[in-house]
Amino acid sequence: MIKEKSAVLPVNEFNQPDKGVSLTLDAWRRLKKNHMAMAGLVLVIFFILISVLAPVLPIYSYTEQVIDHQYLPPSLTKNAGQLYYERTLGQMNALAEKEKRDLNQEELAALEQIKYRIANETAVINGKEVKVHERRYLFGTDYLGRDMLARVIYGGQISIAIGFVGTITSVLIGIVLGAIAGYLGGKVDYIIMRIVDVIYGLPYMMLVIIFMAIFGRNIINLFVALAVVSWLTVARVVRGQIMSLKNSEFVEAARSSGASTTRIIFRHLLPNTLGVIIVFSTLRIPTFIMLEAFLSFLGLGISAPLASWGSLVGHAVDGMNLYPWRLFFPAAAMTLFLFGMNFLGDGLRDAFDPQGKNKF
Amino acid sequence: MTKYIIRRFIGLFPTILVIITISFFIIRAAPGGPFDSEKTLPKQIQENIEKKYHLDEPVIKQYARYMLSIIRGDLGPSYRYKDQDVNYYIAKSIPNSLFLGAISMIIAVVFGITAGMISALRQNTWIDYLSMSVAVIGITIPLFVTGPVLVYFFAMKLNWFPTSGWITGRYGWTTLVLPVITLSFNNFAYIARLTRASILEIMRSDFIRTARAKGLKTSVILFRHVLKGAMLPVVSYLGPAFSAVLTGSVVVETIFRVPGMGKFFIQSALNRDYTLILGTVIVYSVILVIMNFIVDIVYAYLDPRISYK
Repeated sequence: MIKEKSAVLPVNEFNQPDKGVSLTLDAWRRLKKNHMAMAGLVLVIFFILISVLAPVLPIYSYTEQVIDHQYLPPSLTKNAGQLYYERTLGQMNALAEKEKRDLNQEELAALEQIKYRIANETAVINGKEVKVHERRYLFGTDYLGRDMLARVIYGGQISIAIGFVGTITSVLIGIVLGAIAGYLGGKVDYIIMRIVDVIYGLPYMMLVIIFMAIFGRNIINLFVALAVVSWLTVARVVRGQIMSLKNSEFVEAARSSGASTTRIIFRHLLPNTLGVIIVFSTLRIPTFIMLEAFLSFLGLGISAPLASWGSLVGHAVDGMNLYPWRLFFPAAAMTLFLFGMNFLGDGLRDAFDPQGKNKF
Repeated sequence: MTKYIIRRFIGLFPTILVIITISFFIIRAAPGGPFDSEKTLPKQIQENIEKKYHLDEPVIKQYARYMLSIIRGDLGPSYRYKDQDVNYYIAKSIPNSLFLGAISMIIAVVFGITAGMISALRQNTWIDYLSMSVAVIGITIPLFVTGPVLVYFFAMKLNWFPTSGWITGRYGWTTLVLPVITLSFNNFAYIARLTRASILEIMRSDFIRTARAKGLKTSVILFRHVLKGAMLPVVSYLGPAFSAVLTGSVVVETIFRVPGMGKFFIQSALNRDYTLILGTVIVYSVILVIMNFIVDIVYAYLDPRISYK
């Protein structure tokens, strides 16, 4: 068996079987050696898993408001009832101390009532009757008593989805226009590239802000606004790749055997530039997430009750002295994900392009 | 060279024209007019208002009218603020924005190049690792996170700087520290990384080896040969850097309550104050386009390989 196999495989000068290594496999090997990139990959997979599994994870609804639980600090050990009681007691004590007296009858009665409510009050959430004050908020709550953990997870879901879908849309537009410009050349190329140049020169974030402010804040508009301005670099990269490939022998062969222009572009040229495009897309995703977060931060992106990391950070800026957890959890989640994506993107670029031929 | 500059300069006008046209028509295409409000006005009053601002004319005529008034340097009346026109609000706020932007840009360039140089010359020492880690953080964290986090620690907890305000206020110059750090951090990080990478690349090239072999002093090699070449990528990054500062200033001015144009821009966008939006966008674009023009000229001047015909 073994003999037969080695007879089939080509052998190198040291008489070892010379197995062909595909470009992707080669890149994967180099990527595995890059510890930062692997750490980034693990982080990214972790975030994506959490976002995808959000509906089945044991977390609260991100829209559920419990008015008694406004601004509860994050806590691992205490449940909402204890925190609520402690806070009310603290407020009463502070007031009493200011007026230099002990707690009066009214206040003690109010405390007793809160104790009773904490022990017995129930509410119907998701069709189930639950004891409200036994909820636990690992990340604290916001100004409407909503669970920050759920909001950070669902916000991440939206941010990550926008990052991926937006990148795919803009990359598709860029691929098609870049490939057409690169392959056809001449007038078509000139027109497409002039459009790219003009849009490059625009303060496009300003135009996106105007667009969002005027046409209303919803996800569709956000996608349109961001996709329209972000295909430019992809188009340039793809055009360059196609131009360098279009005079090679395999394209000549395809053309001489009668393949149509569309077929040559999409079946022969594009697959050969795929590596570059994938790497480039990975590098684009964090930019896209940042753009969306930037708009949401200004109040021009996602609208309530939906949340994204950007809008969570934006809302947290007011009152962050008193309720810093509202700022730190979404900010930390976003930062971690961006770190992961950046390390992964850099690693992929180095892996696919070890000589640094295509530093964008 | 002069020919190149003139040609590039003439090329600026179509870009500015395109920007004005796009913004004008985006705004005119919006559903609802600028004077739609909760309570419906009597028809006659509505018509009179529209007549006053020439909104009853065909769009093309409005466009022509607007372009003519821009050529005269008049950005028109504000639709929301009745007491002053757009020129007044922009003239009032733009010095603050320009000042903040310019300082941030200078700090990013000076510190970025210094950090990149030190890192490259002391490659793989602790100082290299330190500055490159700071640079990675600067590239990754968006400035609307950096800003609030800096405010929380350095203004609220440590009380070193005021949380917001402007130099003319009662805290004076200390108000500048946090906004400038926030606005320059991203660019500082990019420039530091670029400088380090390009210095390292040039140090390995043949002409540096020749210079060494001739026995030139290290300082001469560094400043006359390495730095001059290493600055090219940095200069070409300055265009995107200006544009980042421009957009970033919108957020920074919101966080730190700087009375600059960015704040006006966001407010007018949310208020649908059409003429004020158009005015601020035009001013922003002109600044950006001129900055890109200057960067291109400097680049062409520095790079002997570019022939300007």
